Amino acid sequence: MLTRLTPLLLLAWLSFAGDALAQEQAATNRATDLKERPAFEAKTLAPLAAGAPLKVLSRQGAWTQVEAGGKRGWIRAFHLRFEATVETSSSGGGSLGGLTSIFGFGGRKAPETSKVATLGIRGLTPEDFKNASPDQAALRKLQSYRADKATAERFAREAKLSPVAVAYAGEGGGS
Amino acid sequence: MRTMLAAMLLASAIPVHAQLDFGRIIDLGKKAVEVGEKVQEASKEYTVEEEVALGEGITAGFLGATRLHPDERLQRYVNRIGRWLAQQTERRDLPWTFGVIDTDTINAFAMPGGTVIVSHGLVKRLASESELAGVLAHEIAHVLKKHQLSAIKSDAGWSAAATGAKAYAADRIGRSSGGDVLGLKSQLANAGVDLVKDGLFLRPLDRGMEYEADRIGVVIATRGGYDPYGFVAVLSMLAQVKPEESGDSITFSTHPTPADRLAELEKVVPTALEKYAAQPQVEGRFRQALGAK
Repeated sequence: MLTRLTPLLLLAWLSFAGDALAQEQAATNRATDLKERPAFEAKTLAPLAAGAPLKVLSRQGAWTQVEAGGKRGWIRAFHLRFEATVETSSSGGGSLGGLTSIFGFGGRKAPETSKVATLGIRGLTPEDFKNASPDQAALRKLQSYRADKATAERFAREAKLSPVAVAYAGEGGGS
Repeated sequence: MRTMLAAMLLASAIPVHAQLDFGRIIDLGKKAVEVGEKVQEASKEYTVEEEVALGEGITAGFLGATRLHPDERLQRYVNRIGRWLAQQTERRDLPWTFGVIDTDTINAFAMPGGTVIVSHGLVKRLASESELAGVLAHEIAHVLKKHQLSAIKSDAGWSAAATGAKAYAADRIGRSSGGDVLGLKSQLANAGVDLVKDGLFLRPLDRGMEYEADRIGVVIATRGGYDPYGFVAVLSMLAQVKPEESGDSITFSTHPTPADRLAELEKVVPTALEKYAAQPQVEGRFRQALGAK
């Protein structure tokens, strides 16, 4: 019974996942401070223990606005731990069970049948790749979307994106 | 010794990659020494032209397995972001090409030679242009570092297919005394298609390569003027998606966990990029391009 329900639940989840910032459940991944504003020097509203549950509201650069223990404030983005919020009812070998293990880690195992199809979504399965015949027309179409340098620069200016010189992290000092 | 190795490479390739005309290569090179030397030479490095030709073959094969998203406005939008980011790198002169494929799964791919593909399922789960820039920059970093080429070279079967194609083409170029660029292109393109069939996209890159692309990617996005924390937000989003829920089997089996990647990024982002954290996230234009809300 559960397995019959699963695709519907999943579809519902997929359709609202995109605009769900406000619904995000998370927790702190270490002890940290809940700040009044997104800045180190801002007033601390409350200390938060590691693993404290919270709700994510918005994001601003290095800071994430959260609600924790009834208080709204900001914590460092890296101090958050997210987990998948939706429990899947197929974990016990339901209709989608086993999908993750199809590809395994590093192996080329024989694929199971494409279970992605139960979602009504065209996924990318090993079979899709194995049976692919080259699509030159699609390649040409793809290449027709290219942007030239001048277009890209205009595009950047429109959003007030200014290039900055930054060295690659770790350059000159190990990796 | 070198010759034998080369001959063995070619021989082992025949049954697996029967589509390529390896029999002919060996016939042509009764003088195995000559062919052997060419394979040796060819296997060393790919010229940019060879890399692009191989990448186009891979892309053509890839597009045979999926399809482009029909929203051309979105395709051009993604190309503008991507090209702007690529401009900030040492390989700005590649024929950079970006595309969105029409699937709800969460995924992104980089092909040798400068083609980057993202899935619509991934794009629509993002909240801003800086997040999309973070994704594209990560894939651009794979191209800069030639990670896919390294993977191809390190796999005996793949490597034999690609170098065999190169040697074959090189031989023909030699014989026609120059100019057979089409021969080179079509042979490498065929090899690219074979690589796709043979699971090029199903196997993980080295974890170290993913971490490296993360580190380089955040810098590229920052150079382009975007909030470096966009990519941090993407990884946080990915951490909440369970593979069996979204059907995005490939991303999840081929990458380290988002939590591990965040932990690695934390070693560099707050120290090196903190002062750029106030750079724009560009949300309005992103929502418009997605035709949303």
